[in-house]
Amino acid sequence: MSRQGIALGAAFLLGGCTHSSLLLLPDEDGGQGSVAVLEAKGKPTEAVVADPNSRTALGRRNAASRPLGAKGLNPRQAGLLGDLPPPARSFTLYFDQGEVELLPQSLGEVAALRAEIAKRPGADVEVTGHTDTVGDGDDNDALSLKRAEEVLALLVAAGFDASLMTATGRGERELREPTADAVANAVNRRVEVIVR
Amino acid sequence: MIKQSILFGILSVLLVPPAAAQVARVKQSVGAAAIERGTKRLPASPGLQLNTGDRLVTGKNGRISVTFVDNTRFAIGPDSNVAISQFDYDRTRQRGVFVTQVNRGSLAVVSGKIAKSGRDAMKVRTPNSLLGVRGTRFIVEVPK
Repeated sequence: MSRQGIALGAAFLLGGCTHSSLLLLPDEDGGQGSVAVLEAKGKPTEAVVADPNSRTALGRRNAASRPLGAKGLNPRQAGLLGDLPPPARSFTLYFDQGEVELLPQSLGEVAALRAEIAKRPGADVEVTGHTDTVGDGDDNDALSLKRAEEVLALLVAAGFDASLMTATGRGERELREPTADAVANAVNRRVEVIVR
Repeated sequence: MIKQSILFGILSVLLVPPAAAQVARVKQSVGAAAIERGTKRLPASPGLQLNTGDRLVTGKNGRISVTFVDNTRFAIGPDSNVAISQFDYDRTRQRGVFVTQVNRGSLAVVSGKIAKSGRDAMKVRTPNSLLGVRGTRFIVEVPK
């Protein structure tokens, strides 16, 4: 092996340790996304990394990806993935026409919602009320907000800190099932709760 | 009287500082883990709300995990320094711009609604590169 070769090898090894890198992984649902390298050392590039389970050294003009190989992630990387918080979960609760009180059939979902919030440290709860298209738009804005506040009050009564939660009303702007105006629709009369 | 109350209304709008829109919350932290906000240094305890400009900093055995309001999720490993440079999110339209700077250490990401809302709407900067996030799950490592 020539001296040059050794020097090159040493430089490569050093480079491997000090360069930042990107590990692209399959999505949680089994799909595969990509990451574009838009700049390397301040210069624009057009490389797109799309190989699943690949490692790409950053800061080079021509980003080349290499497969992770049979060993896969090292323990540090696997630990880091394990630290990711669980995905947000959403719950839907339903209401009678013009009513602010939950339908009894949604009480089971409320129990599931409470359990989900309780098991998440530092939870963040987004409560959004909706209506169907019966009635005036302004009235529906008010009704949707009241529905959201009713759900928030239920959660506060169950012992959750109000500062974790926000309540907003979207009136008839975001129909779950698109309908014409003035159509009663049980699926659209709802409160959606996202727990993060 | 009416004029006065209008004036008062305008003044109170002007005087109220824009509420720092909530961007994310700390979900978990282990070991030496802090949030640097300006000159302040806050312990990264679960439930702490994060703002744009915050730096998430960990020591030798520190780790922090965070969920953003657009459902993006982060896990930050030991010896890291990660800044939330920009986070503008319109909850109603589910669109926005999100720039994270990984100065040092390791960051695992599952991207959320901002990344889906437009090409390269979510970017990650490292000391020697700029990434446009078009997919959901990846790790960026920036050794010392």
